[in-house]
Amino acid sequence: MAVAWIGNREALIERAAAHAASLLSSSRCPVFSFDTDIDGTRAAIALAERAGAAYDHADGAALARETALFTDKGAMTVAPGETRRRADVVVIVGELPRIHHGLVGELAGTVPDLSTVNQRAFFVVGPNGMSVPPLNGGREATRLSCGQASLAATLAALRAQYKGRRTSQPVSNFNDFAKALAAARFPVFLFSGHAAEGLALEMLQGLIADLNRNSRASGLHLPANENGWGSTLASAWMTGFPLRTGFARGFPEFDPWRCDVARMIAAGEADLHLRISAATAQPKEKKRRMALIALTKTQEPVAGAAVTIAIGEAGLDHDAVVYSSRTGSLRSTEAQAASQLPSAATIIRLIATHAFAEPLPC
Amino acid sequence: MLTKIAGGDIIDPVNGRLGKGDLWIKDDKIVPAPAGGAADRTIEASGCIVMAGAIDIHSHIGGGNVNTARLLLPEQHAAHQLRPAMTPLSNAGWSTFQTGCLYAKMGFTTVVEPAMSPGAALHTHLELADIPIIDKATLAILGNDDFLLSMIRDDAPSTMIEDYVAWTVASTRALGVKVINAGAAAAFKENVRTFSLDDVVPSYGVSSRKIVKTLQAAVDSLGLPHPLHVHCNNLGSPGSADTAAATIAAADGLPLHLAHLQFYGYGTEGKRGFSSAAARLAELVNATPEVTIDIGQVMFGQTVTVSSDVMRQFSARGSAHPKKTVIHDGDGNGGGIVPYSYGKDFYGTMQWAIGLELFLLIDDPWRVFFTTDHPNGAPFTAYPALFELLMSREARAEMTAGLSRSALALSTLAAIDREYTFEEIAIMTRAAPAKLLGLTDRGHLGAGATADIAVYRRDRSIAKMLGRAAYVFKDGDLVVQDGEIIHYRWGKALRLKPPVDKAMVRRLEDYHQQRYGLSLDWFNFPDSAIAREQPFGEVPCRT
Repeated sequence: MAVAWIGNREALIERAAAHAASLLSSSRCPVFSFDTDIDGTRAAIALAERAGAAYDHADGAALARETALFTDKGAMTVAPGETRRRADVVVIVGELPRIHHGLVGELAGTVPDLSTVNQRAFFVVGPNGMSVPPLNGGREATRLSCGQASLAATLAALRAQYKGRRTSQPVSNFNDFAKALAAARFPVFLFSGHAAEGLALEMLQGLIADLNRNSRASGLHLPANENGWGSTLASAWMTGFPLRTGFARGFPEFDPWRCDVARMIAAGEADLHLRISAATAQPKEKKRRMALIALTKTQEPVAGAAVTIAIGEAGLDHDAVVYSSRTGSLRSTEAQAASQLPSAATIIRLIATHAFAEPLPC
Repeated sequence: MLTKIAGGDIIDPVNGRLGKGDLWIKDDKIVPAPAGGAADRTIEASGCIVMAGAIDIHSHIGGGNVNTARLLLPEQHAAHQLRPAMTPLSNAGWSTFQTGCLYAKMGFTTVVEPAMSPGAALHTHLELADIPIIDKATLAILGNDDFLLSMIRDDAPSTMIEDYVAWTVASTRALGVKVINAGAAAAFKENVRTFSLDDVVPSYGVSSRKIVKTLQAAVDSLGLPHPLHVHCNNLGSPGSADTAAATIAAADGLPLHLAHLQFYGYGTEGKRGFSSAAARLAELVNATPEVTIDIGQVMFGQTVTVSSDVMRQFSARGSAHPKKTVIHDGDGNGGGIVPYSYGKDFYGTMQWAIGLELFLLIDDPWRVFFTTDHPNGAPFTAYPALFELLMSREARAEMTAGLSRSALALSTLAAIDREYTFEEIAIMTRAAPAKLLGLTDRGHLGAGATADIAVYRRDRSIAKMLGRAAYVFKDGDLVVQDGEIIHYRWGKALRLKPPVDKAMVRRLEDYHQQRYGLSLDWFNFPDSAIAREQPFGEVPCRT
């Protein structure tokens, strides 16, 4: 089975990596986007430093909203384990990514063992018609909405009503919510940047802060993308900054607008795109004057790519360390179906050996 | 390779070697002078002092809370300047890569991250693995976790508690155990807002004192070299000296280490109800030989407080500068990130003076440790300036000129003449930390020791001299020359490996399945997950 291509021609991995390295070396404005495990992220960021590249998650917009909550505002958060064991009121804030629906179902199927309130009530904040994760046992979450008002507006109204202020439009079922909060020992709000705008995330934190004046409450961060949040953590420890950081001037600069890789590509700023993602689809639009190096799990060359190298999927083809929103931290996983496909980190380091005299530090 | 460090002033209190002489290194070890042997490499050290590599026992250099602080404060990195280009990623801001390089340049070769949440052990070790040059170690946090509190509540046998502590240390690859405001994080989840040594955690009926004493006994019984590392209750509160005094008294003949004592050196005198109790605490420490302490010195300027004392951090939100915080309720402790700027006002001056008073009034340099509780009191990059303050009363006098007079009036600092000698510095930052942590292979320059060596060129400015080592060897590799990194390498995380009881593993497997719906495998990891050759170095337990 072929595992590397230069253009549409099969090639030895070494030759494909060497060609990728030469493209990288001659690039004026390289950008990296990735959806990979921790080892792949470490290698990619180390290569970005050498190449002077900007880097971002392959689907960075939602992660950028979550990151902005931390960089701009701060947050009150709780671990998923504590949520399971302590949350007597669970509030689903906006639409959650499908990967977290299992956890929500699990919360519905269990009761908090560290709370004297031995049951869980469920609410959902968002406009009517918004999809809600299925709850076990046919239970339904009580809807808190202001008709078709945005999530941020609904949260603002909820916060105002909780403080006893008047709102132009009342939140549906507010009295039930207020009653549940009054009896609750540890309400938890499930949130994600998946569908929530920055203002909604900030408003939610305002509500949580208000609740904590006299009682306890917190928020469970369920990242829009688990690999993406893992990469955010690795980027923070490696460079001091989250994703959307660039090395164009020889040192890391975090700029969520300037280093938005999708924007850089769309604006024609980038002349080389190293895309590292085993699972996600490749971009359809080919940019003129921008070379694409695709590291992906494929049996054929990626259309329009100058170089394609097949990689394995973290946790499936090879052992990996990934972020787990089930534990709220990094987790080691064994390969579920070990294969010969190389990891993203292996190929990135191979490209680096062809491009630079010194090996990458990680 | 045989290396000779020639003609330096050797300061090695452990081996009683003080004075001009040569030091020989063969590969990664210090060796006796070979009979007639010719060195492959000679380092000219005349005009220099030669000490073992320094060891920092308490510096928050990696793990979930530290990383969250990085996320919270990207704007702080603008203060960082360009770093030398030859050190990968060391030109990054507040990064793991920079951490290792900056420590090495000061002659530090081993640093302990003192607050690892067991559930985030893999994350912590991955960060530590990306800190170059130096060796690292961690202390695992216990004392707010349901499993332990339930066992104490249920009067579980001490052997069972020891099995749990041993499993925690072994599975998280820790070098010891820390307890942080014992019971308070659990109480905070039940809306308790203040918590003292004899307060009881609701739902468990267990006092903070009982938790500390239980863990202290388990650590001692297991033969873990480092005594229980205690972050006391009531950190930062006026009157917290009473809590510290009660905790010192509670040591009760067994070894106990109190972290960042400066943050508990606060009395309630004066019109602001905030005064120095340093003299009182120093006297207590002097009279209690089983107790060791580190300082957590405050230095002026912007920093960020990073602590698993989530209750305290929650209460400090109002003082955040800039105005943003993260408060996290974790499976055990959780944590809080509160940025803070220490000003030269009354309170900042008082904290600064209290730390120095403790340094200077505690007699025995074997029992007082040099820390700023990085980054809580100050970034570790303030160490050179702090050395200067300890070694020069003139430097202290110069510094006090611009500080709050009303604060200094409530402190004994101005009346203290003591100046630390280089021998005392070598004890406090090398020999004593090695002894406290059970690291017999370092902290001294005797034959057989690991060749972790710092050479400093004498200078009138102590800060300049100790902030920029002339040469640093790590495991015999010359890594720093003239204050710059010349060789990049990877250190290890030092860990204990106490035997693990299989029945305890089964019990924990059941517990995790029932309470979290997850197998214990979700929290374990193989060494290979760190993706470094030999990521760990094993330190033996006491026998």
